[in-house]
Amino acid sequence: MGNLITFLLLLMLFTTNITAQEPYVDKELTKKIVKKYNIFAERRFSYLQKTLDSVKNGSDFEKLDAVNRFYNDVRYASDMKVYGKKDYWATPWEFLGKDMGDCEDYVISKYFALRYLGIDSKKLFFTYVKSTKFKAAHMVLTYFKTPRSEPLILDNNNRKIFPASQRKDLIPIYNFNGESLYRVSGKGTGKKIKNKRSHKKWDQLKLNMKRKKI
Amino acid sequence: MTFFKQIAVMLSIFLLIILTTVVALNFISANQSVQDRLYEDAKNTATSLSLSLGTANGDVSMMSTMINANFDSGNYSYISLVDVDNKVLYERKNESVQLNVPQWFLSAITITAPIASANVSAGWKQVGILNVQSDVSYAYTQLYSILMNLLVSFGILAIIGLILLNIILAAALKPLKKVQLQAEAVTRNEFIIQDKIPTTKEFRDVVLGMNTMVSKVKAMFDKGNAELKRQKELEYTDPTTKLRNRKYLIDKLPEYLKIDATSKGGVDMMMSISGVIEANETIGHQKVDKLFIEIAKIFKVYASNYENSIVARMNGTEFSILLPDCTDHDALELAYGICDSADKAIDNAGLDTDITFMSIGLYEYNYKQTIGQLLSLCDNALTQAKFNKSHIHLDKAETATEVMGKDAWRNIINQTLDSNGFCFTLWTAVDVKTEKIDHDVISITMQAMDGTIYSYGQFMASAHQVGLSSKIYQNVINMMFMLPDMRLQGKTCALRLSYEYLTEPNTYIELSQLFQSYALKLPFKLIIEMPDKLVHQNSEQVKLYRKLFETYNIEMGIFEFIGENIDYQYLQDLRPVYIKAEADYFISQSDQAIASLRLITDTVGISLVATSVMDMVTLNKLKEKDIHIIQGPAAETIKIH
Repeated sequence: MGNLITFLLLLMLFTTNITAQEPYVDKELTKKIVKKYNIFAERRFSYLQKTLDSVKNGSDFEKLDAVNRFYNDVRYASDMKVYGKKDYWATPWEFLGKDMGDCEDYVISKYFALRYLGIDSKKLFFTYVKSTKFKAAHMVLTYFKTPRSEPLILDNNNRKIFPASQRKDLIPIYNFNGESLYRVSGKGTGKKIKNKRSHKKWDQLKLNMKRKKI
Repeated sequence: MTFFKQIAVMLSIFLLIILTTVVALNFISANQSVQDRLYEDAKNTATSLSLSLGTANGDVSMMSTMINANFDSGNYSYISLVDVDNKVLYERKNESVQLNVPQWFLSAITITAPIASANVSAGWKQVGILNVQSDVSYAYTQLYSILMNLLVSFGILAIIGLILLNIILAAALKPLKKVQLQAEAVTRNEFIIQDKIPTTKEFRDVVLGMNTMVSKVKAMFDKGNAELKRQKELEYTDPTTKLRNRKYLIDKLPEYLKIDATSKGGVDMMMSISGVIEANETIGHQKVDKLFIEIAKIFKVYASNYENSIVARMNGTEFSILLPDCTDHDALELAYGICDSADKAIDNAGLDTDITFMSIGLYEYNYKQTIGQLLSLCDNALTQAKFNKSHIHLDKAETATEVMGKDAWRNIINQTLDSNGFCFTLWTAVDVKTEKIDHDVISITMQAMDGTIYSYGQFMASAHQVGLSSKIYQNVINMMFMLPDMRLQGKTCALRLSYEYLTEPNTYIELSQLFQSYALKLPFKLIIEMPDKLVHQNSEQVKLYRKLFETYNIEMGIFEFIGENIDYQYLQDLRPVYIKAEADYFISQSDQAIASLRLITDTVGISLVATSVMDMVTLNKLKEKDIHIIQGPAAETIKIH
């Protein structure tokens, strides 16, 4: 009997956790997305939510793989073509809403989806690379299991995730993490620094995210 | 504090607050900008240096060298490299910071140099985090320089602003200043009409209102002036001959029959034309009137040689010529001349000079006689003349034996002047309505060397005769100003100055110098009384006196007023504090004349004071004429509250 009660309580707690999880895209935002884009956009977001839900309790790699595969289905298009700008960092809603974007947009959308799935931000980096294959500047999302481990590369040009050592076509240039990079502090001054910008593109993206730009 | 000052202070404070706020905001903004710059620099260095460090492939010695190269530039106070386990791999810190700014600035301003961080990688491998903090000394110097520049430029701006504000305010409030001057003028009973009407609505309304008010008061004054003039013309002028009449002579005679009169005596001629009824029957009224006009002209011509002479028609057939300072000999010559000329005129009018002729009674008077005595004795002389063959008769006053001769008086007065023996006694002028002293009248007494005390009446006539009266006035005025009687402190005192003294060439300059040195120290309020004979001329000299008195806050009074038929504008121009006239003068005036005089004096705030009020009967008559301020024996009996 006591075992049954314990089981029921655990079940209730589990159920509560499941129901407490906010959807990646809430209903209100979904409505706006449908209004702005079309019913197909709603379906894409619905499929994204299903994909995320499917790996919610999976390993880090399962999450990485699912997110990478999902977003790599989005078509590549230059910022000039999509937004009429030379370089623009789109929010995940703009990216999936328009269903197209460039390499930074893939990295951003993957990053926030993985953050939604509970991946530690310290493990995820935006990495500027040079693609020897395309002889062009490129960006990928890198995952470090530990700070000293070899990173896994989530690249929109490659549907599969590979360790960095297997991506000879990419030369790493610079890593940054929006959450931890450019940590601003008034160390030694005893004062807290407010409103310091860490990275112009990142700061604008965070602002757009806050405003739920679609 | 004037309205201008209040507005100026208010706007200046407002301007300074704005400027201070702008300076403060500018400085805060500059401070923020400098601090942002510090962070931007640190961030750029962190980014670029972390890219450089990436090429060292994790070689700490190589990375240390790169960090040193950057740190030694002196632009950073702290650079550190920590590995992924948060262990410090290399660190540089600037311990001694030399700041080239004053200590107060350092105490007042805190500049925070934020630490910017960047990831350092070697290929795909994470090396650690690079922390960079900029040096604040440059920021302090720059900020101090900005503050100084701000203060200088805003200081200049504030000065220019305040000057401009002052100019603009002065221009904007100029109409108000004029309104104020106009209001002050109204308080002083002056009538100023502002021609330039301000454009600002509020000021325009006020100016128009005041202009209207001033115009109305001025109109009242002018009306009173015209009315009094008309009254006086009727009262003092014979309508046919345009000569003065008996009333004028009687009102004017006190000026000649007083101890300090300019003239000590002279001759009064009384002329009578006999046979007027026959003349009327012979040539008619109109021609007789023309004859009288002709005869009047003859009188005027003969009298014109004598200063201050008065020609008056006493009644239908009698005339009088008062000739001050005229000897009996000269008067007789004059009388014969007049008789001859009159006979010719009578003859020319077609009349018989045996029936219609002129008789002249001459009476040699002196200042000690009363009006009644003078007229009665003149009549006697005329009666005698009528029975004379020549129709001319001269009588003389019985000359009283002088107790002292002129030389004796001269000596006594000179000695008293040397020994400062003149002193003051006070009489009061009382307002019987309020039963309060209106002012005290200062009278002069003389204490001779032998101890004898002479009153004003006793010595002043003789002083006039020996030509020392002005010297006495000069002496007592000097004494009054230099050694003021402290018993008079807080009082209002009047001092009467004579026509002779005031018209002396040096008096004005002497008074100016005296006032300049002592007037402000005078412990009492002074009213200087001037004779109407001088004041009504409204001459430049009188105006100068008025201005001089005004400068030293000394009031001006008028005495011996009889209001001849002249323009009363001088009362408005000179604005005496009061007009003094003999009680008999006021009593003898018609109600219309008094009302007109009142209209004028009330309009410009002048009191009427009756002098020589001898008894309660006179006082009661004055009250009926609405004259309430009196001076004389009756005033001394009034119980003062």
